[in-house]
Amino acid sequence: MAFHHGNRIMVNSIVLTTEEATLAQLIVDTLNLEVAATQIDPEAPLYGEGLGLDSIDMLEISLVVSQRFGVKLRADDESNVQIFSSLRNLNTFIQQHRGQ
Amino acid sequence: MTEKPLTQEWVTRPERGAQSAIKLGVWIALHLGRRAARLFLYPICLYFLVSSPAASRSSRAYLARVLGRRPRLADIFAHFLTFASCVLDRVFLLNDQSQAFDIEVHGEEMLQEIERRGGGCMLFGAHFGSFEVTRAIGRRRGNLPITLLMYEENARKTRAALAAINPKLETEVIGVGRLDSLITVAERLRGGHFVGVLADRNVDGKDLVRYPFLGTQAAFPRGPFRVAQVLQCPVVMMVGRYRGGRRYEVFFEPLDEAPEARAQDNEARLDAMMRRYVARLEHYCRETPFNWFNFYDFWA
Repeated sequence: MAFHHGNRIMVNSIVLTTEEATLAQLIVDTLNLEVAATQIDPEAPLYGEGLGLDSIDMLEISLVVSQRFGVKLRADDESNVQIFSSLRNLNTFIQQHRGQ
Repeated sequence: MTEKPLTQEWVTRPERGAQSAIKLGVWIALHLGRRAARLFLYPICLYFLVSSPAASRSSRAYLARVLGRRPRLADIFAHFLTFASCVLDRVFLLNDQSQAFDIEVHGEEMLQEIERRGGGCMLFGAHFGSFEVTRAIGRRRGNLPITLLMYEENARKTRAALAAINPKLETEVIGVGRLDSLITVAERLRGGHFVGVLADRNVDGKDLVRYPFLGTQAAFPRGPFRVAQVLQCPVVMMVGRYRGGRRYEVFFEPLDEAPEARAQDNEARLDAMMRRYVARLEHYCRETPFNWFNFYDFWA
């Protein structure tokens, strides 16, 4: 999607860091998603609109994240909404809590 | 804008009786006692028979299916009376008067085994008979930790009703409306909780599978079964049914073992679990037809 910003043309291209790409691939494999991992917008919400995932998918993601990275997502955590608000935020959370 | 999801009639139908009405009913039941309170059930059921054609119609359609004949007015009345009896007895069961009932339990040793191992399980019920009587069994067993999982709207109503009937009772009711609802369920299971779900109704019209049920295909929600599969926990079917007088029967039977590892044929396993659930529900409907409490067109 391209849109004008001042006199520049910004292109909202999908650029994933290596870590984000790994996480995206893990999510796609776990949930058997139809999209390619590289097509996931790192800024789009994971839950609800965006990727269209439901709370069962969130559960699966939390389990696989715990298995793979040893990072536990806690229930009743106010920050869960923020953590799951995008692939980028989820990845940031994982990188901050790895190996703790 | 997303399209408004299909909602079943029972979700949109206004609740009969607010919190204060429930409180009044509870007060009457607890002060007059069960025998006197039961006398009120007859006029109440008659009133519903006359004033609620939708409920009568769905009762008649269901009874015709399960009885295999044209239901009489007396059958519909008996159906309503069974429902009303279970609702009333809920008050006594929630106020620790379960010793006043004659409850026959089948399959309790399986629960003991799960309790001994730890790690909890999921209990799949239906809108059939009395869920409260199965919970009373849990409380007799020294406060087995029970968590209820339901759709957000129902969760809110259930919390309000439980608070009105017995505020001292601590039952956790989790609504599935939050993104981390099921992460909470996973935590409770790890803590050895028994997580109860009524797995027969679909609410949002999403993710349904049709299975033959009492002669015709009916839609059942995959959601609860998917949750159980992802959590890899044992799944137990629970049925508590009313047999008249002070008699209840409770059945626990296995629907699925906890798999050792993530199975390759997930879909087949899920399908088998759903089939078993639907077949057993049909079995209980045929044995005790009046315990079916889905008063809407289930086969729609």
